[in-house]
Amino acid sequence: MNFDNRKYVIISFIITVGIIYAFRLFYMQVVDDSWALRAQQISEKRKVITPPRSAVYDRNGVKIVSNRTFYNLMMVEANIKNLDTVAFAKLIGWDVPRVKARFREIVQGEGVYFNKHTGKTSSNYQKIRPYAFIEEMTLDEIANIASHLEEFKGFYEEVTSMRSYTYASGANIFGYISEVYQEEIDKDSYYRRGDNIGRAGIERFYEQELRGRKGVRYIVTSAMNNDVEPYMNGKYDTIAKQGPDFKLGIDIELQAYGEKLLKGKRGCVVAIEPSTGEILALVSAPSFDPNLLVGKRKIRKNYPALAKDPDKPLYPRPLAAQYPPGSIFKLLQSLIALQEGVITPEYGFPCNKSMVGCHNHPNAGNLPDGIKFSCNPYFYSVTKKVIQEGRSKNNFVDAEMGLNKWADYMHSFGLGKKFDTDITGLTSGLIPDAKYYDKWYGHHRWAFSTIRSISIGQGEVQLTPIQMANVGAMIANRGWFYTPHFVKSIGRKGPLPEYKKKHYTMVDAHHFDAVKEGMRRVVNEDGGTGRQARSKDYITCGKTGTVENKPKKDHSVFLAFAPMKNPKISIVVFIENAGFGGTWAAPIAGLMIEKYIKGTVSDTVKEKRILDFNVY
Amino acid sequence: MRQDEKIISNIDWPLLGVFLLLMLMGLATVYSVAYNPEHPNIFDFSQKYGKQLVWLFVSLFLGLLVLLIDADIYRKFATPIYLFTLVLLVIVLFMPSKNGARAWLGIGTLGIQPAEFAKIGTALLLARYISSVNIKLQNLNTVLVANAIILVPMVLILLQPDAGTFVVYTSFLFVMYREGITYDPLVLKLINLIPGIKFKQTWVGSHFIPILFAVVFLCLTTLLVSNNVITFDFLPGVEIPGIVGVLLTLVVISIFGLYIVRYIGSRRDRKNALVVIIIGFSLCSLISLGTNYGFQSLAKHQKERIELFLGLREDPDGDDYNRNRAMAAVGSGGLLGKGYNKASVSSVETNHVPESETDFIFCPYAEEWGFLGTFVFVGLYMFMLFRVIMIAERQRSRFVRVYAYTVAMILFYHFAVNVGMDIGFAPVIGIPLPFFSYGGSSMMSFSMFMFILLRLDSQRSYILQ
Repeated sequence: MNFDNRKYVIISFIITVGIIYAFRLFYMQVVDDSWALRAQQISEKRKVITPPRSAVYDRNGVKIVSNRTFYNLMMVEANIKNLDTVAFAKLIGWDVPRVKARFREIVQGEGVYFNKHTGKTSSNYQKIRPYAFIEEMTLDEIANIASHLEEFKGFYEEVTSMRSYTYASGANIFGYISEVYQEEIDKDSYYRRGDNIGRAGIERFYEQELRGRKGVRYIVTSAMNNDVEPYMNGKYDTIAKQGPDFKLGIDIELQAYGEKLLKGKRGCVVAIEPSTGEILALVSAPSFDPNLLVGKRKIRKNYPALAKDPDKPLYPRPLAAQYPPGSIFKLLQSLIALQEGVITPEYGFPCNKSMVGCHNHPNAGNLPDGIKFSCNPYFYSVTKKVIQEGRSKNNFVDAEMGLNKWADYMHSFGLGKKFDTDITGLTSGLIPDAKYYDKWYGHHRWAFSTIRSISIGQGEVQLTPIQMANVGAMIANRGWFYTPHFVKSIGRKGPLPEYKKKHYTMVDAHHFDAVKEGMRRVVNEDGGTGRQARSKDYITCGKTGTVENKPKKDHSVFLAFAPMKNPKISIVVFIENAGFGGTWAAPIAGLMIEKYIKGTVSDTVKEKRILDFNVY
Repeated sequence: MRQDEKIISNIDWPLLGVFLLLMLMGLATVYSVAYNPEHPNIFDFSQKYGKQLVWLFVSLFLGLLVLLIDADIYRKFATPIYLFTLVLLVIVLFMPSKNGARAWLGIGTLGIQPAEFAKIGTALLLARYISSVNIKLQNLNTVLVANAIILVPMVLILLQPDAGTFVVYTSFLFVMYREGITYDPLVLKLINLIPGIKFKQTWVGSHFIPILFAVVFLCLTTLLVSNNVITFDFLPGVEIPGIVGVLLTLVVISIFGLYIVRYIGSRRDRKNALVVIIIGFSLCSLISLGTNYGFQSLAKHQKERIELFLGLREDPDGDDYNRNRAMAAVGSGGLLGKGYNKASVSSVETNHVPESETDFIFCPYAEEWGFLGTFVFVGLYMFMLFRVIMIAERQRSRFVRVYAYTVAMILFYHFAVNVGMDIGFAPVIGIPLPFFSYGGSSMMSFSMFMFILLRLDSQRSYILQ
């Protein structure tokens, strides 16, 4: 029998296996990516390096926000061997039950992953993953532990960076940072669990610039999860890059001084450099030390107390609080009336107190004196002339047209709307127009007499303090302003283009002279309401305000800029429930201006009087 | 002198060449995978590559000796050699066990695995027996003796236990099949017991072995891939169940086979081929579908046991660890590989793939050289196997032909199982990849296998028996 043909059976066996294997290898190695992904999962670790956030400087180059190194005590359970719990507890200064409780907490708490799609929480704890056993320890705290960590396999120290503030002020400007939420991670792929994100203030607005660029290192790991070598010699690694340095318009000394002066009071101070729109100081009282909200541990401890405080230290008063402006509003009424031509600077009006009440003072024979005495009847008549200009024979129609025109002016002063700027938490304030009153009284059912309280900055009108300060800058500049903003420069980039655009008001420059003269008299002439802000060395222009706040005590307001020629600072001081504007707000403004212009304060008696004054 | 010259001119240089090439590739892979930066010298004998180099030289030296000795002794001394290897297999059973098996003979790290050498003894004796049989081959006695020659070492090896080598021993069945020794006499005996039936031969009985293996192979592959779902990146949403993949592969192979036969066969062959292929395809599909159906209809715990045996459990970090890591290493190679000495999954240092310098050495090779490398590797192996079969078929001596077939089949088995387990087509069975894997015993035994064949072949003009 011949069996030679059987060799073909054997050969076809071999060929078949060879072909199948070649195809399979082609499929596995070239077509299908899943095995390559699996290999990555098994053998590579992606180590993300988060750079420290940008450093922040004030206008004089003082570093005000920097980063401090903290240490996490990390653990990898898979590497822990024969842990001597007693010795370990002793090392970290805990007792044994607390150590065990912390282990449980990590396994059950930090390892839990919430799946949004299924709505279920599942344990994501992995023994080979590192978790922070103790977070955010200072160098002193870790120093004793670190030297003994070798004895405890599976534990190691890891460096993290957190914010540090040179001055205990400016908390409401800087904001704070805290760990990202799951929704934020879902929204922006930059973030991973445990990353920080800016929560308020500049930290929030400039998050993208401040956070810098993360670096990634790919590391080949062994089956024991030890680092072996950089993957492909670091070919795919990227270097972490810190964000550019920030320079703010803030003068931190002035800011700190303002917070000091406002201690024990509720209220705020906003100071703006009129020639640039840069915010020099933004004090919100009561204030708090920004260092209170650094790191998970401190936030957990301090945040609830701050949030529950009845005086609302977390509430950004200068930006969000909306107050009736009071008498400082009279400056704006004057400007509109002058531009409209319904009065001249020589316009006089007797203080007859028939329509509105007033305090006792000589009759104002011209506009500057009207401002100096802050005469309510005077501005009642001025505003009436603006609203009831006689555009229509019908009184109601006339009032409607007049008010809308008036509101347009107010809008051009930056009121009744939010500034489009790098400040978070702004509100718009309120400038009522015809539509607004129609809602209350009905169409053509109201006239000036109905709404007369707006003429002295009471009633429906509401301004935020930052808007008031901007009004000061606008008057100082004789009719234009830059949008108030915090940031002077980012890295090498100078002022951002959006802050270099002049906003012109509807009032011509020459109309400002009379108003400025009035503000000069307020401070610098006897009989003026703002004498407390006077200085021997330069001329301060100002305007007091006393905002009725029935049934509580009046708010004390003072708006000022100085010096009169080439103003360097425009400031508004707003003290809640303090009483007459000239008594409290004016001296505070005076001290602040002196501090800014001269660097020191000469009148320590006045300073002491302010410091000793407590509203609550 | 004259004889030496004859050897040099008669030696099969292509086979020797591919064999040496594979050895060098293996050495390079061992160097890469076990690379120790503190001992970068390949001649550092404290390292695995240094040792492998020593084994390589020892093997080549032994090979040279084999080439110098007249090949006639292998036929003459086949029985003593076989018995000697059997004695070694018995002695090894009384040795201390290492990694759960009593497979090592020797002191400390210097040891040999008798099972590797037993294959040579078995091959020689089987060849001698088959070549000595003058009687009609389809004889119950012949079948039983031939099977006994294989079975005795198989049992001894199973006692170690060494499942890998045990499986490899079934390759001798193919050799017997090629020589006409099949189970047909057994089958006939059984069938002819039925009254009224008097067969001279049965198709199933005479082709029992390849049929059995085709069926086993088909069943195994079906089971291994039936749970997989094949997806394509460029065709999102398209999911092909594993069983469909198997059927598609069968279709492709059938069409391939048809074209090959059309190309080389005669007209009559073509007609027959079509019938054979259609029948073969239908049968294969049926077996595959049947296996799949049978497996799916098993009770859960039965399924789990089979999956556990095949290393199929969905447990990439537990029972399925080795296979999962090995496949990840191979699959991550891509088209061109990660580059020499750049294996990150299967290097000894990272140790994700265990035994990556011995049984899983194909992983680092595939990872570093990619599909380009693995394709070349499969090609070289195919070339080597065909060359050995070609050599076998040109012998006038039956002894040499049988021996050559044993070489071909053992190499094929090692190749198929070893590479198969790295690509998910074979269960994880620890057997070395010939000429590649680190280890003295396998290196020496496979070299001896090869050199004996080369020597026998060089004397083909005057070895007639």
